[in-house]
Amino acid sequence: MKYCSLKAVIICLVIFAVSAGCGKNETVITGFDDVKNAKIGVMTGSTGEGVARNRFPQAQVKSFDDIMDAVAAMKSGQLDAIMTLIPAALQVAKKNPEFRLLPEPLDSEDTAIATKKGNDDLLAAVDRIISDLKADGTLADMRKRWLKADMTPYVEMKITLPKEGNVLKIGVSATREPFSFVDKDGRVTGHDGELARIIGARLGRPVVFSDMKFMALIPALQSEKVDLIISGMNITAERQKTVNFTQPYFANAQVMLVKNRGETPRIAGAKLVSTEDLKDKRIGVMLGPAHEGRAEPKAAPVSFFAGIANSFQSNIIQENRYLLLLDGLKTTVAISVLATLIGTLLGALVCVMRMSKRTVLNLPARVYISILRGTPVLVLLMLVFYVVFASVNISPVVVAVIAFGMNFAAYSAEIFRTGIEGVDTGQTEAGIAMGFSKVQTFIHIVLPQMVRRILPIYKGEFISLVKMTSIVGYIAVQDLTKASDIIRSRTFDAFFPLVMVAILYFLISWLLMQSLDYLERRTDPKLKRRKVARA
Amino acid sequence: MIQIKHLSKKFGELVVLKDISIEIITGEVIAIIGPSGTGKSTFLRCLNLLDRPSGGSITIDGINILDAKADVPKVRQKMNMVFQSFNLFSHLSVLENLTLGPIKLRGMSAKDAELKALDLLKLVGLAEKADSYPDELSGGQKQRVAIARCLAMDPEIILFDEPTSALDPTMVSEVLSVIRRLAKDGMTMAIVTHEMDFARDVANRVLYMDEGLIYEEGTPQQLFDNPQKEKTRTFINRIRSFNCQISSPDYDLYAMNAEIETFCEKQILPKKTRQNLLLLVEELLQIYNPLLSTTLLDLTIAYSEKKESLELVLESTGEAVNPLDKNLQPDELGLNIINNLTESIKYQRVNDKNRVTVLMKKTL
Repeated sequence: MKYCSLKAVIICLVIFAVSAGCGKNETVITGFDDVKNAKIGVMTGSTGEGVARNRFPQAQVKSFDDIMDAVAAMKSGQLDAIMTLIPAALQVAKKNPEFRLLPEPLDSEDTAIATKKGNDDLLAAVDRIISDLKADGTLADMRKRWLKADMTPYVEMKITLPKEGNVLKIGVSATREPFSFVDKDGRVTGHDGELARIIGARLGRPVVFSDMKFMALIPALQSEKVDLIISGMNITAERQKTVNFTQPYFANAQVMLVKNRGETPRIAGAKLVSTEDLKDKRIGVMLGPAHEGRAEPKAAPVSFFAGIANSFQSNIIQENRYLLLLDGLKTTVAISVLATLIGTLLGALVCVMRMSKRTVLNLPARVYISILRGTPVLVLLMLVFYVVFASVNISPVVVAVIAFGMNFAAYSAEIFRTGIEGVDTGQTEAGIAMGFSKVQTFIHIVLPQMVRRILPIYKGEFISLVKMTSIVGYIAVQDLTKASDIIRSRTFDAFFPLVMVAILYFLISWLLMQSLDYLERRTDPKLKRRKVARA
Repeated sequence: MIQIKHLSKKFGELVVLKDISIEIITGEVIAIIGPSGTGKSTFLRCLNLLDRPSGGSITIDGINILDAKADVPKVRQKMNMVFQSFNLFSHLSVLENLTLGPIKLRGMSAKDAELKALDLLKLVGLAEKADSYPDELSGGQKQRVAIARCLAMDPEIILFDEPTSALDPTMVSEVLSVIRRLAKDGMTMAIVTHEMDFARDVANRVLYMDEGLIYEEGTPQQLFDNPQKEKTRTFINRIRSFNCQISSPDYDLYAMNAEIETFCEKQILPKKTRQNLLLLVEELLQIYNPLLSTTLLDLTIAYSEKKESLELVLESTGEAVNPLDKNLQPDELGLNIINNLTESIKYQRVNDKNRVTVLMKKTL
């Protein structure tokens, strides 16, 4: 068993490495003219999506949740170009010598902070702070410190936040270095992280970050899960219909990231000109030519195993990233186990109702089962988070446990029912005829047989629950998958974090499975005898 | 010990038990016989309330168990049941099947319960199977374990619901001999069974149930040797019958012959008997033929498995006259053949019909 899985993993590694290594027939792009029929990656829900469709109507536009997914796709030859905002593009080019930026921006956009409609006091207060920051040059300084073309460490401003008070909840998508990312201590930092802290400090409120998918930010703001969105969000007419924006704090632009021509990998660099004048934001960003980059030592060709060692170093060891994985692992296990417990109890209740002859009990149980089984668990999760518990201050982990528990209950109720119905009624009758009450008959006669019967299916359902929890990142829970997203957003390395996470999921499933296997063996009536026979 | 008064049971619209009154005395062994679907099992299941009766009363040791206040599980402990399909607890070993009730319901210590269970297993001859599981036993062994499981609860009465119906013939006797032994030891029992010889042997009293009633009851001798009512007789003698109506002289003789042949095959009658029967029917119909344009003939062939006898009943409408009267026949040939094939011929006028009953000779 162990060797088998080890072999399987090695085979996967080799296939992955080989397929990642051989690129498909690539289009080399030198300017926008080459992009016409290319495959362009954009970020889901971003302004770039619209720009790409308008400017390149014949191109295939593929949308990705996060920049690192698009980067991974371009590395494996599935994309010819990526359209994204300049800070993210700079970052990618900086860390991936094989990519560069096309020098011309596609448009210019304004990045601002969003508040909920109607929350005018907060809007005004934040707007004032931005005016001040512009006036005293803080914003320009921040831009210099966070948007750099080289790999030197970031210098973060020291900000003292109040420990107590009315918490300011910040919605952020922390997979967007250098705007917002998670540092080695697990804190949200970057340009926007710092900005959030400055605002918190000026308002005299402690700051708490909710790290979620970019597209989940606005729903979270509307359901008052967060007070402010500070996550490189650009002002668009569409967004303005649902939220209010402060004045812009950053002049942004969509740019295009393409593969480098030629043999020698070069670092695509960008030079920012005229960062001071944010008022005249139309010319706020200019892109420098690609040759200004500084050569990186790691650009030298490396062997396969050295590459793995390097990846391990950067993805796991560096900045104590294994701690992120470890925390994610704990969260995943906690959600899985708690949801299973709740789901089992709730499932038992639904099962009792479902098996009742009275329509009053029976019907709601049937409806519950059909609805819950017929709805994707992701949709359920978001409904619970954004609708059911809207404006309720509840930990997203609890929401995840509830949503997965509800989902699991629908399945387990039906599993229990089949198990109970599978025990022939004759034995129940025999128990009752002997003088057991209905409950006693269930406990002593039906239950032991039912448990044994349903365990194999139950196990399968449980394992699929463990894996399903990988979507909790949508509601700002930092689980194992989210941890790998965060790491990937820093390293832009798809291979290693994903394999690592796959192995970890496998290990969790395997360990939890062992405990259920133990239960299965315990409920095997003939085991006892076999033991005696062997002894 | 148990008084049952005016017990009735309906399943929705279907009336299974109409009105049953009977008293069961301690030490009595009651056999309940009757055709399928006449409520024998339902009656038994009403006794321990596995099926709740629709009306009437059941009084056990002076307590009406249909009373809402009655402690039904407690009552059930006193009268355990053996089922047709054994219903052993499949997740428990044979020994645990026997000890579960005593330990959980009667608070017996595990050790005492096990000792007692082993004694009972010895009684039914299965002590060496104590550690086996139900799926490792033959049908006969399972049923013996089920009986031992009943005994483990020290019941005052055991209800047997067709205990041998699900067994293949080679295993019936091992179960019956265990029940016989219990009868000898004075156990009170009510047994629904299709094993007539066994019922006759073991019972003090036999109930014949039909039409949702106790149709006839008595000692085994009374009921088996001299049943008073028609239906009882049909059942006891295991009579199967074939019936057809002839309303015109142009009836389809070949189709009827084929049906009679099928009937004979079902009863596994020898070829010779079959041929004689067909001949007899043909000759009889020959004689009836002239009458058929005006009368309606009802022909019944009845075979008693027990007596191995074939009886033909011909009922015809019309004026009161014996159609087989010598004087009515143009020649005696047909009648001679008939007389050769039969043991007796009786004529009766019943319900404005001429009934001729012909008993066929046994073929050797």
